[in-house]
Amino acid sequence: MKSKILALLGSALISGTAMAGGYQVNLAGQRQIGMGHTGTGLVTGTSSIFFNPGAMSHLGYSGVTIGGSALVSKIAHSAPESGGVTARTDNPLGTPFQVYGVYNINEKFSAGLGVYTPFGSTVDWGNEWSGRYGLNQLKLQAIYVQPTVSYAITDKLGIGIGLSYVIGSVNLQRSVPVQSQDGTEGGIELDGGAESAFGFNAGIFFQPTEKFSIGVNYRSRVDLKVEGGDVMFSNIPAAARGNFPEGTTFNAELPMPSTLSVGIGFKPNERLTLAADVSHVGWDAYEKLRFDFSQNVAGSPFSEASRNYENAFIYRIGGEYMATDALALRAGAYLDKTPVQDGYLTPETPDSDSRGLSAGIGYSVSENFSIDASFLYINKKERTDAADLSNGVAGTYKSVAYIPGIGLNYKF
Amino acid sequence: MKKFFYKSSLLALMAGMFLTSCDPEIDVASPSAGTLDFTKYVAVGNSLTAGYQDGGLYREGQLASFPALIAQQLEIVGGGSFVQPLFTEAQANGSGYLKLTGFNPPATPGASPSPILTPVTTNLAVRTDVAPLPGGPRLTKFTDPVNNYAVPGMSVLSSATPIYGGVNPYFDRLLADAEVGSKSYVAKVAESQPTFFTLWLGNNDVLTYATNGAVVNPANPFGDKTPVATFRMIYTQLLGALAKGGETEGVVANIPDVAATPFFTTVTLDAIRKSAGMSDLKVYIRVAEGPTGVRELGEGDLILLTTQAAIGRADQVAPGVTIPHGFHPLNPLTDSEVLDKDEVAEVRAHTQELNKVIAEVAAANKIPVFDVNKFFTDRFARPFVQNGVPYSSAFITGNVFSLDGIHLTPRGNAIVANEFIRVINTNYNTNIPLVDETQYRAVLLP
Repeated sequence: MKSKILALLGSALISGTAMAGGYQVNLAGQRQIGMGHTGTGLVTGTSSIFFNPGAMSHLGYSGVTIGGSALVSKIAHSAPESGGVTARTDNPLGTPFQVYGVYNINEKFSAGLGVYTPFGSTVDWGNEWSGRYGLNQLKLQAIYVQPTVSYAITDKLGIGIGLSYVIGSVNLQRSVPVQSQDGTEGGIELDGGAESAFGFNAGIFFQPTEKFSIGVNYRSRVDLKVEGGDVMFSNIPAAARGNFPEGTTFNAELPMPSTLSVGIGFKPNERLTLAADVSHVGWDAYEKLRFDFSQNVAGSPFSEASRNYENAFIYRIGGEYMATDALALRAGAYLDKTPVQDGYLTPETPDSDSRGLSAGIGYSVSENFSIDASFLYINKKERTDAADLSNGVAGTYKSVAYIPGIGLNYKF
Repeated sequence: MKKFFYKSSLLALMAGMFLTSCDPEIDVASPSAGTLDFTKYVAVGNSLTAGYQDGGLYREGQLASFPALIAQQLEIVGGGSFVQPLFTEAQANGSGYLKLTGFNPPATPGASPSPILTPVTTNLAVRTDVAPLPGGPRLTKFTDPVNNYAVPGMSVLSSATPIYGGVNPYFDRLLADAEVGSKSYVAKVAESQPTFFTLWLGNNDVLTYATNGAVVNPANPFGDKTPVATFRMIYTQLLGALAKGGETEGVVANIPDVAATPFFTTVTLDAIRKSAGMSDLKVYIRVAEGPTGVRELGEGDLILLTTQAAIGRADQVAPGVTIPHGFHPLNPLTDSEVLDKDEVAEVRAHTQELNKVIAEVAAANKIPVFDVNKFFTDRFARPFVQNGVPYSSAFITGNVFSLDGIHLTPRGNAIVANEFIRVINTNYNTNIPLVDETQYRAVLLP
């Protein structure tokens, strides 16, 4: 049953537009989204599988969580010296999701399984805008399946580790600057599934006092490799077809960078929980976007564009207040520094420092069943870039996202 | 519980409505005409201003002429309508033009395939009811008032003479029958009374000479280099009629270097050798009269694009003796097929002198100059990428120059329109938005 649900999720759901730095999507748990996506230094519930496996053994119960977000992202582009907005994305609704199950084996041990989507991007600029030779649309998807074990060394100290099994796919479409006599433009589409890859997610959780807790979490880098992906051409004029041969395949590699997080939790009283996290994302793994072709395309056996991302920090704060025994009110904020250097902006991730503001509620319907709802607003700084080092599309970009989400928790 | 779901779905609905209305905006300086009046923009010039391309003037090229694109952008800041002497839909192919219909496979491996250019001969605006003019067959008239006064073939020299309407069919076309042969281009332009103008004239005062391999065609009184003093006199008169001593604002453009166009840079010794499959092949050119006037093609000599088809042609030089054209001193490429390096230097020097005159006359009228000469040399002669498209002065693949190797594609016109707009914005403190050049085509492939 479970695998059936997972397969369904994998095929029906598309992970969201890259609304964190780069193409990272930090939407791993509805309660935590409401709290500014903090959680490394907290026992977050079953989502500790993601936030800090070390805290999982301190959960004290078994449970299942299923949740998802509706990611509405919008990006505007203003071409250089154009005097206004010249293009807007028409991104489909992104649906990043998370499923966590934790089984409390005994006081010391717990085991769990998490399925979540920490990376992805769906950006659709269409095939009419001035940057269409750079990008029409990109769908990048990665799903992590993570069996996890956690061990409470003492009642104050826990460790945990999960093995991440990662599947993913990429679809990229661009216009090709060749035109037939009737004016139609050529197109190229690269489509491929990534080979399964593995990584790990490990954490330590320490709670020296009732009021104070601290955690460290490390999620390893995973390289997604596509081998033998399809290259499809459309509307190539006959005279140019030799340059765009049918039956071409491509190989490509894209890193899902490592993330090291340190977080603290503070409970000044029974009703209030405060949290703060700092994450360091190893974006320098993303140096270039390179496609190797099985035959020459436009006279070259590969296409390569520099990315040269820099490592970046994310700063988060969040809080939860129990208004009643059943109702939790949450709020949070974060600042996610961009990994994209000047000159390297691209239409697939027109990134800049992003500011997130979140709110959420939790409601315990019964002792076993609770609902979390969250809302996250992301506003990226307007950014103007010549994009001359990335073969990108010059201009000014501005992105915002509105992300409502809901999660259901069942304890047993 | 029911209430909870009801409330949250209502909330979700409201949130949905809120979200779709919240598009991101970008703060950029809003378009502005500054203190300029664009009510009546008039463009004066030659084929480049007319939208001539692919060796002809036709409706599609006219619609993408750079002044039409400038006018379209001026409309955003309150500019008036811009009338061009468009050919009708029924006669959309105007004078006729060249179309790329295929490629001959390379003669030898490693050589470039040679393009097959086919003349378009249907839906022309060519008149058969009247005798042709010295400059070609007459074309359907357009005598309504226009904003685009450009006349293909017009030079500064020919603009001053009333007889030119009876010579050039493109000028004849804009004149009432009674004016043909009696009204000069300068007089016609002086009637336009613009509130803003662009003037790009002077190319043909060197180009006609250069494209004929620096040989003056005795049948063409406008085929030589225009003397500098004559050029200065007429240019002063012409710009004076438009600028009225600084009363009317505008921009003038100067003369590009001929060697910046694929007409002069496509057929190289290397390309000929590759095509012939002989890496040590020698090509001979005639640079002067007499038996000593023949020498080997060398560095800096430019073979005209139109010469390509004649190279290697089996010419009979004596009964029973044929020699491939250009491959032997006894059958060299003719003087008019090549702009040899001395002629290149001569044409360049003359271009510079005329550009100096343009700069001086413009300064006297307080009119800014768009340095097209620098722009073509700096920009087109060096490959560059814009919005993911490679541009260069390469023939066909460079995306800038049309199939005649001299005139611009619609894309090239958009790039030039944007440079004009930049010059206006810089000099007049306006903020006219640029054209999205990707919306205009380059060379269409079969």
